[in-house]
Amino acid sequence: MIKGVLMYCFDTDLVAYHCIADISIGLVKQHLGLPVTVVTNQHTLDHWQNPPDVNFIIINNDTNNTKLGQPWYNLERCEAIDHSPYDCTIVIDVDYLCFSKKLLQYTETAHDFLIHSAAHDVSYRQALTYERKSMLPLVWATVLIFKKTDKTRRIFDAVKLVKSYYQHFCNLYRIDYKNFRNDYAFAIALNQCNGYHEYDIIPDSIATLPHDCAVLSYNNVSLNYRYLDKINRIEGQDLHVLNKGFVNV
Amino acid sequence: MDINELKRHSDLSFDRAVAKKNLLSRAESELITVYRDHIFRADAVTISTVRALKESHDQFYMLDSNSNPVEIDNPAEFLNLLIERQQAALNSYHQAYQSLKSLKD
Repeated sequence: MIKGVLMYCFDTDLVAYHCIADISIGLVKQHLGLPVTVVTNQHTLDHWQNPPDVNFIIINNDTNNTKLGQPWYNLERCEAIDHSPYDCTIVIDVDYLCFSKKLLQYTETAHDFLIHSAAHDVSYRQALTYERKSMLPLVWATVLIFKKTDKTRRIFDAVKLVKSYYQHFCNLYRIDYKNFRNDYAFAIALNQCNGYHEYDIIPDSIATLPHDCAVLSYNNVSLNYRYLDKINRIEGQDLHVLNKGFVNV
Repeated sequence: MDINELKRHSDLSFDRAVAKKNLLSRAESELITVYRDHIFRADAVTISTVRALKESHDQFYMLDSNSNPVEIDNPAEFLNLLIERQQAALNSYHQAYQSLKSLKD
């Protein structure tokens, strides 16, 4: 079974996501030791100085979405099963930094599809609690681990359906965040595909550094951050960094 | 103690508390292990259960972290894996915690 990592990376006018991807790809290669495929667009690739040694897939991505009032191009994740050249795929956000090899073990399970249902704020101010305003349990599409099976294809097909009729599903599940979010789309799809019952998850919580925390420095195993006058360090633990300014450190 | 000194101590305590929570979070994450296609937590309850069952059974059943039943036909192998994983996580936590404790007020 061929395993690999898939990332989606589209620059916006405000964020050079390919710079973040450079960091993330290096960490994936070091800690997971898996081949990487990056789905991107021609504009991003044209601006990518010294593109890393990965497999690129060039697409014309959808640019009709925002997040927190800023352009946010991440609408193609529902096609990951088609974009992935691997039998077993780990999809990660480009701003998910692998400081450990823990994701590898989830590729060795019998599960067709795994996702996290929990995330926590590493500055412990509960900055992520706003994410739970809906009728269904939220999942975090930051990391997906799947095998190409019929069950997984049904899940991705359901996500595409949810994406097509997103406002309807927002009303159905009383989701008050009206812009498309993969987290909600996968939560809805999994809820429907599993007969409105619970499903198997990764029993871990995604360590997340909120937007208002500044990254001071990082290396291959750790990251130092600051919130107001507080400085702290995350070491040996994967981290989802929401403040995209960290590429300028 | 003047107010500035009090604030300094309070800030340091806050930093320590956040650092400790992050270390514990890392340790809890490191407890998660995969055995024969299933995900388990190598926590005290799992280890104690496996150890207790192993004393009188060569083969038994456990629930994985998603409450799926799993047949355990090699209890010694499973117990060793759980203990190894738990002690690696807690050893790592212990070392980092000692560094944290050594920070002077």
